[in-house]
Amino acid sequence: MSAGVTAKRGQVAREPDAATRGARARGDVGWGWAAQAATGAVVLVLVAVHMVAQHFILPEGLRDYAQVEAWLRQPIVAAVETVFLASVTAHALLGVRAVLLDLGPSPRVERALTAGLGVIGVATVLYGLWLTAVVTGLA
Amino acid sequence: MTPQTGRSAGPGVPRGDLPHRAGATGWFDTRHRHLGDWAFVVNRLSGLGLVAYLYLHLVILSQLARGPEAWGGFLAIATSPPVLLFDVLLLAGLLAHAFNGIRVTLLGLGLVASRQKALWVALMGMAVLIALAGASRILGVTS
Repeated sequence: MSAGVTAKRGQVAREPDAATRGARARGDVGWGWAAQAATGAVVLVLVAVHMVAQHFILPEGLRDYAQVEAWLRQPIVAAVETVFLASVTAHALLGVRAVLLDLGPSPRVERALTAGLGVIGVATVLYGLWLTAVVTGLA
Repeated sequence: MTPQTGRSAGPGVPRGDLPHRAGATGWFDTRHRHLGDWAFVVNRLSGLGLVAYLYLHLVILSQLARGPEAWGGFLAIATSPPVLLFDVLLLAGLLAHAFNGIRVTLLGLGLVASRQKALWVALMGMAVLIALAGASRILGVTS
């Protein structure tokens, strides 16, 4: 990409400065795109499973407390719900990251964003595991 | 070729020339707007809405930790008409985001080079049909 950018169609030319702007501002979508697509594919399947299992098959559309407890005590259900929470959280936070990177942060801010969102993601999944343990009587 | 989240203006053209390249405010710049750009904005806005809902949902689930009475109180609220209307909106946003995400991924991987508009119409048509079926069930029109 040349340093000087000619203004097109009345738009103000913006100088891309590779040294001070982050990867997204340089037009590099990077690993985030692939991770977003991969987690998106997993979420697509599991959100469909979630909607059918949690809402569609129930006459009232929701489980009461005893039903939730019995449901989560099935190991396969707890496992699928955990994978669902992890993949949907990763997909959501990668999306937030993509939006924030579009604002063109510096490489340093970009690294801090990625690390901070990673911490939030891990905390979210740990919260889900704790809640499951409480409801099933393991904690 | 590196997958791109937005519409490419072609080789050698700085991506800063695209409407949505100028940060989030560019989403609302309707000049030179094409179908793919609208789809991009819809995906971003529905995505942010779904992130907000995800965390709202997780906070609400904490009622489970407070026992059967707290959860029962939530169930009463969850089946009230305003919340059911919100559920319909949520389902529509989820479907729009999911089916548009399929489109974005197929295009990004270079699997669909032509007939992009037909793909968009077909996927959105499916999303609308599922949303209508879901809305009719949520609102109790069908059992």
